[in-house]
Amino acid sequence: MKLEKVLIQTKVATSGMPVREIFAECSRVNAPALPFCTKTGRIRGRITLKNILKMSCLPEYMVETAHILGDQLSSTDDLEAKVRQLLDNPVDPYSQEPGLTINSDASALKALAIMEQNDTSYIFVVDEGEYRGIVTIQGLARTLAALDQQQ
Amino acid sequence: MHGSDEIATRVIFGWDPLWVASILFITTYAAIISEKVNRAIASLLGAGLMIILGIINQQTAISGIDFNTLGLLTGMMVIVAITKRSGVFQFIAVWSAKKVNASPWGIMVMLSLVTAIFSALLDNVTTVLLIAPVTLLICHELELAPYPYLFAEIFASNIGGTATLIGDPPNIMIGSAVPLTFNDFILNLAPIIPVILLVTLGIFYFAWGRHLKATDAARNRIMRFQEKEAITDPRLLKQSLVVLTLVIAGFVMAHPLHLEPATVAMFGAALLMLLSNLGNKAEAQSEDVHSTFGEVEWVTIFFFIGLFIAVKGIEEAGALKMLADYALNLTGGDMTLTAMTILWVSAIVSAIVDNIPFVATMIPLIKSMAPTFGGAENLLPLWWSLALGACLGGNGSLVGASANLIVAGFAERAGHRIRFLPFMAAAFPMMILSILIASIYIYLRYL
Repeated sequence: MKLEKVLIQTKVATSGMPVREIFAECSRVNAPALPFCTKTGRIRGRITLKNILKMSCLPEYMVETAHILGDQLSSTDDLEAKVRQLLDNPVDPYSQEPGLTINSDASALKALAIMEQNDTSYIFVVDEGEYRGIVTIQGLARTLAALDQQQ
Repeated sequence: MHGSDEIATRVIFGWDPLWVASILFITTYAAIISEKVNRAIASLLGAGLMIILGIINQQTAISGIDFNTLGLLTGMMVIVAITKRSGVFQFIAVWSAKKVNASPWGIMVMLSLVTAIFSALLDNVTTVLLIAPVTLLICHELELAPYPYLFAEIFASNIGGTATLIGDPPNIMIGSAVPLTFNDFILNLAPIIPVILLVTLGIFYFAWGRHLKATDAARNRIMRFQEKEAITDPRLLKQSLVVLTLVIAGFVMAHPLHLEPATVAMFGAALLMLLSNLGNKAEAQSEDVHSTFGEVEWVTIFFFIGLFIAVKGIEEAGALKMLADYALNLTGGDMTLTAMTILWVSAIVSAIVDNIPFVATMIPLIKSMAPTFGGAENLLPLWWSLALGACLGGNGSLVGASANLIVAGFAERAGHRIRFLPFMAAAFPMMILSILIASIYIYLRYL
């Protein structure tokens, strides 16, 4: 199966874009990350939902003590205001290194193998430096399920 | 024929072995202290050059490695790696905080005591790795600055670790080299530890404890922590506690049973790996054992290997004997003055640089003083001085012990940076006070 069949086209994150737009786009296409691109469209990093949530809500000590957290925590006080502030934040500080990429003419199996090798659930599709879309495990499963229904 | 005369014939280009070994050793030491090169790499390179340049041959180098120290360290690292997965340490930390109704000062006392006890039975780094996140969480919920708590835990960790053979690497090295048993450390070092800890906590009370206040709502949040959920694997918890108890009993009985501590620790580690893998298929067992071995601090183990060889090289070249003679000249061969010098020099050096290479160097140096003091059996005050100085000295600065840096790292990542100089300004005088108490103890008990 060619990668194009499981490719999901998405918007890209750019400098100054608020977190709100990232959440909206990732929810729309059911993807865990978006590429962080320059104005000319070159990928300079990636924005993942996991990293935004980790950096904004989860200090390291809270991860280390996850099991003992009670049902009342100071972090959850005044939640609405904190969420609003997070959504207004620009995405720039949440950017990480670019991450995995693959050409659109590769096979879906190769994309799956690279994802497995790197213990991730998504890979960006890039042709000659230009972002084409994202392939996710969920998208792959959806395509396979659709094939089964067609038969 | 003197050792250095023997080796002079095989040293490259006929160079003076004393000079070659000394320059090599000082360079290795400088590389370790600078932290520009990983300490394991620095010590292994130093060790390799001792052999390549002809100071020692490979056989002598291997005879310098203290496998008892390595076995004890590795065995305990494996046991701790498995035990911590059960969540027991975080359970006890939260349970103890709730026992004092989340009172800010009570929590500082309880977390300090828990840290000291864990550090006496496990290694200090693991202890603070487990306690520091709980402390940061508690402080966040109490809306209090974590600095006093983390400061207290650093002190408790180094003080508690001084109490036992297995509490701190210097004690493991001294115990193995002399040799001194687990019981020797309990009988000789443990009695002074509660005194030092109590005095330290008293100062913390006047400095911070009496000013600490938290609202009822904040304390209530701590009381709603679910410590039982920290126990993620009750079966593993039981297995770990049984093996840990057996290992401690093994250390206590090691001498009458003619066993070395390394045998006890390694056997305990193997037994715990067996128990925790009961019912697992071969593949799962391999994965589990691989993951457990992956948690052993191999950098430390290889650092020790290189260091033991480098120290053997300088010992064979005769430099340590010369240094010991010089030190004895200074103290006039007086036991009290020698013991006090070792205690204070060890403490001050250990506050500034890694105490492991220092203790590794001091062990053969002190051993060579035996004839002056009428035999090895009369050196005990010197060994206890070295242990107290090297372990307690770690409190003197942020770089004095690995555990201090681990706590500082956690604090910084949580947005509460511990600065080097302000820490040292408070910690160094407190370390000096602990050494003063240790001096009185050594003097009254042994001199």
